[in-house]
This record gives sequence, C-alpha cells and structure tokens, in this order.
Amino acid sequence: MNWTHWLPLAIVLSSLVPGLLIFTLHEDQHRLRVTLNLCGVVIKLLLVVAMIYGVSKGLEFRFSLPFLPGAPLVLQGDALSLLFVALSSVLWLATTIYAIGYLENSPLQSRFFGYFSLCVSATVGLALAGNLVSFLLFYEMLTLATFPLVVHRGTPEALRAGRVYLAYTVGGGALVLMGVALLHGLAGGQDFQPGGYLLPAVGEHDLALRVAFVLLVAGLGVKAALLPLHGWLPKAMVAPAPVSALLHAVAVVKAGAFGIIRVVYDVYGAEAMGQLDMAGPLLWLAAATILYGSMRALQQQELKKRLAYSTISQVSYVTLGVALLGPIAAVGGLVHLVHQGLMKVTLFYCAGNFAETLGIHRVREMDGVGRRMPLTMTAFSIGALGMIGIPPIAGFVSKWALGMGALEVGQDWVLLVLMGSALLNAGYFLPLLWRGWFAEPADWHEDNWREERWETHWMLLLPAVFTAFLSVLVGVLAGTALSPLGWAQLIVNRKFEI
Amino acid sequence: MNAALLSLSLPLLAALLLVLLRPARSGLCVILMSAASLTAAAFALQQAISLAPQLLQIGGWETPLAIRFQLTPLTALLMVFTAGLHLLVALYAARSPHATGNEDYWPLSCLLHASLVALWLSADLFNLYVTLELLSLCAVALVALAGRKAYRPAFNYLMLSLAGSLAYLFGVALFYGRYGVLDVLVLAELTEADNTTRLALLLMSVGLMLKAALWPLHLWLPPAHSGAPTAVSALLSALVVKGPIYILWLIWSQIAPPELGRQAGFLFAGAGILALISGGWSALRAPRLKMLVAYSTVAQLGYALLALGLLLHWQEPRMEAALWLFILAHGLAKVSMFLAAGELQRVLGTRRVRALKGASQNMPVAMATFAVAGGSLIGLPPSGGFLAKWLLLQPLFEQPQHWPWAFGVLLGTLMSAAYVFRVVALGFDRARPNPPSVKPDPVAQWLAMLPALLVLSLALISEPLLLWLGGVAR
Repeated sequence: MNWTHWLPLAIVLSSLVPGLLIFTLHEDQHRLRVTLNLCGVVIKLLLVVAMIYGVSKGLEFRFSLPFLPGAPLVLQGDALSLLFVALSSVLWLATTIYAIGYLENSPLQSRFFGYFSLCVSATVGLALAGNLVSFLLFYEMLTLATFPLVVHRGTPEALRAGRVYLAYTVGGGALVLMGVALLHGLAGGQDFQPGGYLLPAVGEHDLALRVAFVLLVAGLGVKAALLPLHGWLPKAMVAPAPVSALLHAVAVVKAGAFGIIRVVYDVYGAEAMGQLDMAGPLLWLAAATILYGSMRALQQQELKKRLAYSTISQVSYVTLGVALLGPIAAVGGLVHLVHQGLMKVTLFYCAGNFAETLGIHRVREMDGVGRRMPLTMTAFSIGALGMIGIPPIAGFVSKWALGMGALEVGQDWVLLVLMGSALLNAGYFLPLLWRGWFAEPADWHEDNWREERWETHWMLLLPAVFTAFLSVLVGVLAGTALSPLGWAQLIVNRKFEI
Repeated sequence: MNAALLSLSLPLLAALLLVLLRPARSGLCVILMSAASLTAAAFALQQAISLAPQLLQIGGWETPLAIRFQLTPLTALLMVFTAGLHLLVALYAARSPHATGNEDYWPLSCLLHASLVALWLSADLFNLYVTLELLSLCAVALVALAGRKAYRPAFNYLMLSLAGSLAYLFGVALFYGRYGVLDVLVLAELTEADNTTRLALLLMSVGLMLKAALWPLHLWLPPAHSGAPTAVSALLSALVVKGPIYILWLIWSQIAPPELGRQAGFLFAGAGILALISGGWSALRAPRLKMLVAYSTVAQLGYALLALGLLLHWQEPRMEAALWLFILAHGLAKVSMFLAAGELQRVLGTRRVRALKGASQNMPVAMATFAVAGGSLIGLPPSGGFLAKWLLLQPLFEQPQHWPWAFGVLLGTLMSAAYVFRVVALGFDRARPNPPSVKPDPVAQWLAMLPALLVLSLALISEPLLLWLGGVAR
C-alpha cells in the first residue's frame, strides 16, 4: 500500500473528481470552472510524468479492488497503457483550452465540461485497465459519457447523429461484454500479460476462442470504425469541434484501436493468434478499411466529413500494424496511435477555427484562406502533409515502420495498400492546401478581423499551433528514446521479449 | 428469529396504529418504522448467516400439523430488501405528497410491507396463499388511491389476481389431497412425478405467473402500474410482483421433482426470452412515460424467468444467484425509475414521452436518475443489473450448445438499451424544449436518485452479496 499502488487510481480520479464537481457549478461560475478544469489537467500531467519515470525505471504500478467474482477491478501502469495515457492527457490539455475558447458565451457549459472530464477519465481508465473486465467497465463508461457531447447542440440533426452513435456503440459494447464473459469462462479473470494468456486453451477450445475473438473485434471495431461498423463516425461530425477532436483523436476511436491492441497482444498473444488463423482476416479488414476510408474521403465536399473519413482510414493503420504480428509492424501500429492523434487533432482544431471565424464548412469555401489565417493554415498544412506521410512529420515515421514491418513478415502486398492510401491521401488533402494557399480569396461576410490582434481567438489558435508543433517534433526526434517511437520500441521489446 | 419477527411485526403494528390514531405526520412515522424494520432485518440477516437456517413452529404444534416460519440467508436478504425499498419510497413520498394519492397510502404501504415479509418467512403452501392474498388486496387498494381513472385498472387487477389465487389454491388443495401435508420442507421429500403433482404444479404456476405478470400473462400490469400514484407504482413494480416469483421458485426448485423441473424449465426460459423481446418492444412503442416503465418491468421479469428456467432445466445451482440478483437490482432500479418518471411527469405537466424534450436542461437530476436506473436495466457495469447478467452468462457460455440462450440475452440487452435511450435522448433536445409547468423540486429528485446510486454500486459489494446468496457463482 504505497504510492505505486495508488498512482493509477489517482490518475483516473484527477479528471473524474473535477468533472463531477463541475456538474454542480452554475452557468455563470466561469472562472471556477476553468480553474477546476485546468487544475485537473495539470495534476494529471504531473502524475503521468511520475508514472512514466517509474515505468522506465522498471517499477510496477497496480491497484486492485474486488469487483466481480474472480475478476477484480485492476488498474495498472505498463508501458503500453502509458503511451495512450500520455497521449490523451496532453491532448486533453490542448482540447480543454480549445473548448474554453470555442464555447465562450454559449449555454450549458457546466454540463459540457463535466461530461468532457468524464470522457477523459473513462479513456484513461481503459488505458490503465489491467484485465478485460476493468476494460469493459471503462469502455461502456466512455460510450455513455460521450453521448451527451455528441448531442450537445441539441438540434434535430445532432440528436439523429446521437441516436446513430448510441445504436452502434451500445451494440458494440454488448458484443464486447459477450466476448469478455466467454473468455472469462475459459481462462478466468486474469490480468493482461505480455504474450497473452490464452495459449494453453488453444487446441481444446478453438471454437470458443474464435467466437470470442470475433465478438471482441466486432465490438471494439465499432469504436475503431472498422469497415462495416464505421457508419456513426461521419454522422457524429455534427458535434462541436472540440468534441470531434475528442472523438477522433483523444478518446473514442483510439479506445477501439487500443482495445484491439490489448486483445491481440495481451490476451491472445501473437502465437495463439497465429495458431487460430485469426490475424489474416483482421489484416484484410484493416487494409480494406484503409482504402475504403480514403476513397470515401475523396468524395466528400464538406471539410469535417472529409476529415472523418480520413480518420476511418488512418486509425486502421493501427489495426494493420497489430494484425501483421511482427515486432517492427507493431512499433508502427503503436506509434501511429500517437501520431495520428496529434495530426488529426490539429486538423480538427483548424477546421473548427475556419468554421468559427469565417463560417467555412465546405471545401470550395476554403479558397485563399491562408492569406486571412496564415497560422491556422500552416498548422493545417502540417497536419495534412503528415497524414500523407511527408518526412519529417510524424506520419512518415509510422508509415515507414509499418512498411518495414510488412516486409519483415513477408506480407509485401501491404506496401501496395500503404502506397495506394498515401496517393489517395494526397488526392484529398493537396487540393485543400492548394485552395488555401494559392486560390483567389472568396468573400467572407461580416469579417472585421483587422481590429483584432490575432487571426482568431488566441485560445483557438494556440492549441492548433501547439499540436502541429508536436507533430513535427515527434517526427524529428523519432530517433531518441523519449519520443513516441522510442517508447513504442520499448513496449514491443517487452512484449516480444527481444 | 426474534429479529425477523420484529421486522415483521413493526410494519403490522404501524399500520394498525396509523389507522387508529391518524397522526398528523404519518410519513415521518412510516420512515422511522421502516428504518427500524430494516435494522431488525439486518440483524436477522446477520444471524441467519452465522447460524444455521432457523425454523419457528407457530403455536407450538409439531410438524406436519404445524405452520412454520423459516429464516434462511435468502429470506433475510429479501426482508432487508423489502424494508430498505419501503424506506426509500417512504422518504420520497413524505417529501412529495402528490406521489401518494392520499393519506390512506401510509397504513396500506405498511400492511403491504408486513404481508410481504410474512410471505418471505412462510414455509407452508397454505400460509403462502394467505400472505399472497393479503399482498394482492393491499396492492389493489393502493392502485385505487389514484382516484376514479384508476378504478378500471384496479378492478381488472383485482379480478385477475383473484383468478390467480384461485388457481393457486386448487393446486394447494391437490397437493393436500395427494400427500396430506403442505409444509414445503416435508413435501420436498415426498413428491413424485405423477399426474396429480403435474396438474397441481401447472395450476399453481399459472396462478402465480398471472399474479407476477410473467409473460404471457402480463397484460393487466402496464395499466395498473402506470395508473397508480407514483410511490405506489414504485412499490408494485419493485416489490409486489417479486412475491409470487419467490413462491414460484420455491415450489419448482424445492417441491417439484427434478424431471418435471427439466421440462418446465425449458418453457420458463423460453417465456423469459419472449418476455424480454415483447416487453421491450411494447416499451419502445409506449406513448406515455409511466407505461414505458411498466412495460420495462414486464421485460425485466423476463430475465428472472430465464434464470429460473435455466436453473430448473439444467439443474444449475449457480443460476440461483443470478435470479435473486436480477430481483434485487430490478427492484432498486425500478423504484428510482418510477419516482423519476413521476417527478418528470408532475413538473412537465404531461404524461407523454414526447414531452420530455429538453428535460435534461430543466430537470437534470431526474433525467440522470432515469439514465442511471436505466443503465442497470440494460446491464451496464458496474451496476447490479450487470452483475446479475454476468452471473447468468457464465454458465451459459460453458458449452457451445447453450450459446443460443446467450443470443437471447444479447437481444434483451439491446431492447432495453433502445427504450432507455429513447427517453434519455429526448432529454437532450434543445431545439424544441418543453418548459416546466411548476417549479422542480431538487430534493425530491435527489431522493429518487438514491436507489439508483445504490444499484449502480452493487457490483462493488458483490462479494458479500454472493456470500449471502450462497456464494455459488465462483
């Protein structure tokens, strides 16, 4: 019972408690709300830094509480969970600042920020979850906490999107429950283990293991927006921009992808996956999603919709890297979890800035926006070029690792998928950049920007510039041990024990 | 045993005193009484755990002549449950007079509490009949408190309830004629799978299913439960229907020969799945809020029926814990849900589901209550409903030929999610909100929230709970 025991719980509580307090605040207690929010963020970041330090020194963090018979509620900090926790905490900081600026003077802010903090708590909880039952608990909590944010605007369109979101995610949650219950019967409520714990059951319970895998991947695939289960994501783009950032980069789709990583590596394990022949279909599904998402993105004329389809494609890189079952590909998949988050959140901040400042929602309205909002457009360009995979931005690093990983395990055709997707990415991002920088400016009505100091509210601008800077930084510093790539290497070394 | 008898006599005494003295603050008296009864029941639970199950021969006669009370951990737990829920409902009802109909609510609810405790304690088929009859009469009287518009549902309830009692009584008579005893423990050793026993079990089951509103005999329930005053709806859904289910469990798991149980279990389980689907569908289509909650009771009782059926069909003792957890979790969740629905309906001034547009802005606590209670009905972790479903699923998944039942559970989960979120999603409508017609009462909303918070954290105390339920689900 010392600090290594309580730290995982403290990390979850550092956003849960401020969130619950914020619910009780009145609308006009603006300052108190902001203070609470920022305190939570700062405390969480400090705790996460402490844990990163501990894990890199080889300490073990584990908190447990009796929960279900044979399956305690376990929160633990290992290298993989920290990758996700660090990502969501940093992006929570940026997105909180962004949301404060974005929602200034709009009603129902206490409700918004309350659920926002709950969302982050659920995300951090599922990142730290030490077994499947704990993961399930936070996975469902995430669904429930996100719904009010998706429907925050309360318009008929938002409610429709919210219903679609619920139909998909609650259904997915039920499938995950079934899968978890099935595995619990086979192997008990064990902790996640590097290399998985189901290998002893292979051979005897193949049918049950396969069914459970299909149930889990289908349930997690809903949030990760895998191919037939992606329909909710483009619809949910009616939500306010900070929520889109949360859905696409910080929490929801990431939770699905992270769950798939956990299931493949820490529940089944590469060896059992190989013996059950389950990796192949997952690989095909991921490849198909990558191409499909990119192609649909090409057709979209609405900026946020285009970004949404781009997410569907990009998140499947993570699944692709996992399904290849090789160490280098695994590094690529893991590091893309972080890289995609940074780049996509930048793109969504920028899209939100365009919409808030100039009322730009559609692609053709972007003509000449770079002259009016140069900083935002620069950040947008960095994000977009990174998505295409131009060095030295983050996206290049992960694609490179994925390609090398595919070659290592002899799946050369994956390279074609990667190249095809890069071409398609260029196809739908480059016209945006061209319009923004080189096309003749359109007329933006009611624009009196010359009176203001910055091109838009500084709280909207700063997060976008910050995350764009980070996307470049993690790409440039990829060779060092503290970069996401270095950390992913550490995770994979521990998992594959090389 | 003394603590159990105290827990039984307190509400009985309170009911008589309330009728005789007509005190000004009946609500407070009932709150104090149910708190005392809860304490006594908790002592009884503690005794039942530490000692062996206890028997009391009423009047000092020996078996087989005697009428016996039996105290086991399960009966004690059900007594705690009854007193606790009565306390929670009384707290709300004392705060919101509109929820009770009129002052007659208080003695009647105490009588209902007493007859239910007597039912849990009885270990004799005829004694069970008497308590069941008392319970139904109290329930009918309580429904009628809502005034003229509730007379028809109350009358239908009375008629069907009498028919159910009659069927049950015929069954009891057949048992008596065949075996000459009615004591449950004695009968358990005598019964054989002959035609008389079959007929008796059939008659009793039909009667009890009618009284418990188990599918397909549930049609009287939605109008009666939705027409009653709010506090009464909560008591009826959370407690009253559980009485006949207890008797059903008792006769099938203790008295009936296992080979009959195997056949009947399959039918029960099938009816449970159908209840989940048809009840869920009706709840999804219900135009009025309390009707929706009442249909959700029909659906949720399907889980209990499924657990009971599989318990009998496979002779699987682990299902027992699932069955009782469903009962407990549903009771707590349903109290919250009905109280929240009543509060919403009073403040918004209409009974329609559509009127809830924008309610999560105007009445956030009531809406959150509905959502949290709904989360337990859906079976989201860490609620009691989740724990029960988990225990139900464990034995289901052990053999691949049992997996189709799990599909039924999945379907039931999705149906309940659909009707709960139908309501919750409306609450977030900001475009056309429905303004409150009277000022919302935050205290009443928080009182409605209490049981929901309890059920939400039920999985965290799963260890003692399972210990009390026999600790079978390892």
